[in-house]
Formats: sequence, C-alpha cells, structure tokens
Amino acid sequence: MSIGAGLVLLGAALTFPAAAQSRAAVERERASFAEWLGSSPVSPWRTLVVRAIGAGLSLGPDSADIPLAGLAPARLTERDGRVLLRMGTDELGLSRGRVQTVEGWRLIVSGPRGRTAVTVFGPAPAKQHKKLSYYDYHPRSAHIVTLRPATESRTQRLLAPDGVEVEATDAGTVQVSLGSGSSALRVMRLPGATEDESELEIYFRDGTSGKTTYPAGRFVSLIPRPDGRYWLDFNRARNPFCAYNTVYPCPVLWRGNSLSEPVKAGERYTGGGLEVPTP
Amino acid sequence: MRPMRIPLLVAAILLAAAAPRQASMMGRWRAVLDIAGGPLPFELAVTAQGGGLVASICNGPKCADQAAVTVTGNRVLFDIADYAATITADRRGDSLVGVYQNVGRNGPRSIPFRATRGAWPRTEPPASVLGSWDAWYITDQRRSPRVLHFIGGTGGLEAAVTSNTGDLGVFWGGGTADSFSVARFDGVSVYLLAGRLNGDTLRGVFHAGLRTQTPFVAVRTTGAPHLTAPTALTSADTSTPFRFSFFDLEGRRVSQTDPRLAGKVVLVDIFGSWCVTCHEATPDLLDLYRKYRPSGFEILGLGYEVTGDSTRDNPQIRRFRDKFGIPWILLHAGASVVEETAASLPQLRGFTAYPTTLFLGRDGRIRTVYAGFRGPATGVQHTKQLEDYRRIIEKLLAEAP
Repeated sequence: MSIGAGLVLLGAALTFPAAAQSRAAVERERASFAEWLGSSPVSPWRTLVVRAIGAGLSLGPDSADIPLAGLAPARLTERDGRVLLRMGTDELGLSRGRVQTVEGWRLIVSGPRGRTAVTVFGPAPAKQHKKLSYYDYHPRSAHIVTLRPATESRTQRLLAPDGVEVEATDAGTVQVSLGSGSSALRVMRLPGATEDESELEIYFRDGTSGKTTYPAGRFVSLIPRPDGRYWLDFNRARNPFCAYNTVYPCPVLWRGNSLSEPVKAGERYTGGGLEVPTP
Repeated sequence: MRPMRIPLLVAAILLAAAAPRQASMMGRWRAVLDIAGGPLPFELAVTAQGGGLVASICNGPKCADQAAVTVTGNRVLFDIADYAATITADRRGDSLVGVYQNVGRNGPRSIPFRATRGAWPRTEPPASVLGSWDAWYITDQRRSPRVLHFIGGTGGLEAAVTSNTGDLGVFWGGGTADSFSVARFDGVSVYLLAGRLNGDTLRGVFHAGLRTQTPFVAVRTTGAPHLTAPTALTSADTSTPFRFSFFDLEGRRVSQTDPRLAGKVVLVDIFGSWCVTCHEATPDLLDLYRKYRPSGFEILGLGYEVTGDSTRDNPQIRRFRDKFGIPWILLHAGASVVEETAASLPQLRGFTAYPTTLFLGRDGRIRTVYAGFRGPATGVQHTKQLEDYRRIIEKLLAEAP
C-alpha cells in the first residue's frame, strides 16, 4: 500500500479539517493568539518602552532615560553594531532580536546596525488592555487570488508586524475584486520561523481604516492552495503590534496598498493609539 | 481458598474503578500535520517509561526526539521539551485531533495535527529517484543550491536535503514509479519534499512550516561541486586570538582567557538546542573529545537559543547537555537570529549557519571555520566531514604550544 493510499485511509478515519478555510480554523487561530497575548512574557501588552539606543541610554533610577524600579544604574550602548549593557563593572553583550532578563525586566534589542532600538517588557501585562475584537467570520471575505511575480526580486528593509526591521523581498502583486472594482495589492516575502520558512504578507489600508479598524493598516498573509493560487482571507487580517501598545513603531503603509472599499473582515479596533504614522 | 478470593475480588473491583474510560495511549500512532501543501506524515510511538508515558517522534524507522505524554480526560498533551513545543489533541477512541504549537516572539506558530492508531505502511522506494540530485530552489526569481540524496531504507524511501549550511536530518516517505513525497517532523522542523520525474529532470515543491512553498528543479549529480564548500562560507579575523565573553549556565562570566582553554587546541561549537543538525553533530563531537582531549584538545560550546533570555534558555541548554552527557564548557551566548547574532562574534564574517565550527590553534587564533554540519543522513559527505575535522585537529595539535 502506498503512502497515498495510507493517507486516503487516514482521511477516511478522520474528516479532513479542510485546512484553512473554515470558521472553526479561523476562530482557533484567534483564540490561540489571544492566549499568547495574555500569557507571553514578551507579549506586546507588557511592553513599556521602545527607544532608539542612539548615543547611549541610561537605565534604572528615576532620573534615567528609562527608569526601571529595582535596577541599579545601567547603560546601554551600541559599538560597531554590538550592543553592550554595562552594569557596574560587568559588561554584557546583548544579542539582537531576542530577550535578556535583568532584575525581572526583559529587554530586546533589535534593528539594523547604527539604528538599534531597545524594547523593555514589564513583569505583568498592563492593567487595562482591551479584549481583541473581530468582525464575524464570513466565507465571502476569503478570496482566491493569483500571485503575479515581481519582474525583479528586490529586497528592502521594512517593519514586520512586531515593529522589528526585517529584510523583505518583493514577491509581486495580487488582484482582488472588492465591491464594484478590482484592486492590485503588493505582496512582500518576510522571513519566517525556521530555515527555508517565509511568509507572503500584504500590509494594507481600506475603507474601514481609522473607523472600525486600525488606522495605520493591517497585515494579511497569503495561504497557498494546491492549484498554485492563494487564499487571501481577510477574516485573518490582523493588527500590527502598534495597535496593542502605542510604544511600538508602526509600519508605514506599503506603496499602492490603499483600498478605497471597506474590508469589513478580520481584526477590528476601537480607540487609543490612533496616531497615523507619516511616511 | 476462601481467604484468597476476597482480595482477588477487591482487586478486580479496584482495577475496574481505576481503569480509564479509554484504552491506553500505548502503541504506535500514524500522525499528520496539515500544512498548506497537504498532509505531512510522521509517527508517534508511545511507551511507558519511569511511571509515565513518552512518545518518540519517528520519521519512518528513524525516531528522534521524545515527548512526555500527559492524558487528562480526553485531552492529550505531548510536551516536546527539547524544542519548547507541544502537541495538544482531543482524543475520541482511536483518533486524535489537535494542534502542534511552538511559541516565538511574534506569536504562536500553530499547525493542525491529527493521528489515528497504527503504523504507516511501508512502501517500495521508487527506483527512478534513488541517488543524488543537484537541485535549485527558486524563490522570487532567486536560485539557491541544494543536494537531494535518496536511498531505499528499511522503512521505504529515505532522503537527505543538504544546503550550503548542512542537512536537515532524515526525510522519510515513499512514492510511485515517477513521483515521490518525503517528510520530516522532529518536534521543530516541519518539512515536506514532493516531486515528480519528468524525463531527466526532477521537479517539485519543498514545503516548510505551515505554508512556505519553494519550487525546485533538479538534475542528476554530475560530480562537479554544486554547493559552496563549508569552509568557504564564513570567514574570520585570524590576526588576533578569538575573543568572546559570555555567561555559563551557573551565571559565571567566561572569556578567551579562561585557564581551561589556555594553550589548547579548541573546537568552538556554535550551536542551538533548537537546532536539529546540532543534535545530530553532538555524538561525533563527543567522539573527537574522547579521542583528542588527552593530547591537549578542548571543546567550547556557545549556545544561541530561542529567546536569548537566560532564565528561559538555560534550562534548554541543560536539557541538551544532559541528553548527550556533554562534558565540555557550555555558555549561553545569546539568541539565534541569524544575521543579528553575528554582531556578538564580530571576528566572524558571513556567519549564518548552525552549527558553525571554529578550530582554534594553541595560540587562540581561528584557523578554520566550518559552516554547518552534514549529518549521518548525508552518507559519504558525513564521513568526509569527520575526516576533515580529525585532520585539522591533528595538524593543530602537532604545532608547538
């Protein structure tokens, strides 16, 4: 018996969860993300400050650039791309992009050489964080699209959903029919979790932005289909981290990705942090 | 006889009361992860160990990491502690439906999971694809080289996928006359390679994670080098001794001046406990350590971990140490964001691979940098790499202190 036949047997034993395109799948994803926001030690809800290191930052006492209770005076500097945290006579090299715990505070340094920023997380979530809010799932908001590849594969640095600068490549455009017309949206390939993983992302604004959804824009991933086309499922449109906490830098809208029609699907937003970044 | 009967009866009643409503989890489960490209098959082999249940994660006959299994009512949790990952599933009779998850900084990475009792059937490996292929992955008009190596193993078709920075471990699967599908899930890697032979050309898609799909095209290996040599990827400043300063697992700072390293030939193993290739390389490093340590050889492990937060990472490094019984110095060097961690070792240029191996002479200077590791799945490449390592170490040991 072949693997294929084995899979058919397995398929018969269990109903195939029709991947990706179901209300249940989308609701599971939403619940899982909400749980992460509430429980992760580096949840955006715990972020206290995001600041460029520049010529150096002092940490600790009330008079410091970043006051952190219980932390003896410390200084953060960047030298030849290397970030150092000096505490008394100790000097600690900080890896970019990930977490260092100091007296219960968590620090992440990230960004390109010379423009490194530090993010500081508190030990507990901010008290009055909002519950996540979504448009109800609707199958009509999931579109099947064809990716028209970019004529040349250019790379550029841009902000990922978590406000961290990444090297992205231009993947092309997709055409999507909304309301009366059809619009082109630009797709970028962002680095993923492990080797050879990446995400095809669209960062867009639409007629709901600044009214019922986050004003700066929302991200939505392209989901590949077996036929070579993609699902563009606006039910999965999600906010950049700057929506959860105004200390995050907000990605600037990608050229060409402003839709005039309202996309009444995916994550909603009400109030707070409404500053729209200017390009 | 009478006195015996009552205890037996009591025991029978107690057993009946204590018996779970469902049969034991013990045995083999054929499982899939539902990635966007289709089902990715693997197996879980559940056995009893030390009063609890553990599941080996198997790709065909090759079983790698183990997960602790906890059953609470109908909910089954597989805790894959080596990679800080979990599978949680609801059980109905002989089927499990749930989700694989590992948590990163940008949110959860979740992939649907399902399984049913029993083993995957073995399939005959398709003879037409056996052997080595020079492949190109094509991403947004960019090409990057891979070598695909297929063998007929005891469990069916096995494959190794080697890039410039090493291999991803054993893939397993099967196929028909002109098509194949091989997969690897080991707790953290989620890979599926599927393709079809068309004339002399192999074409297909490499699937990674939930939904990355990279087309590839491959032709029979000609013998000409297709990959960049492991020593040509990363270069190093060799003019001064290798400098570093990191904390060990007890929080003590260790630098290049440590007396345990002075005057020794040192192999610096830049690793991550999350890195499957690093797990595959470690037994070979242990062999080198035992063989050459009496002659003045030492190993230093620099761990780049998932979070970079020592309170969360050090337990992972300790698990890694205990899994292999690593006797050498292990330091927590930071986090594993490839291009960005390079900044913590400024003497290296082009540091992108895990593991990366540095060979230091007795004067502390870097002599050779070996990017990546070709594991046992790669066969002859693996043998050659170990021969290179032994030759380098013996040459450096022969130099005057």
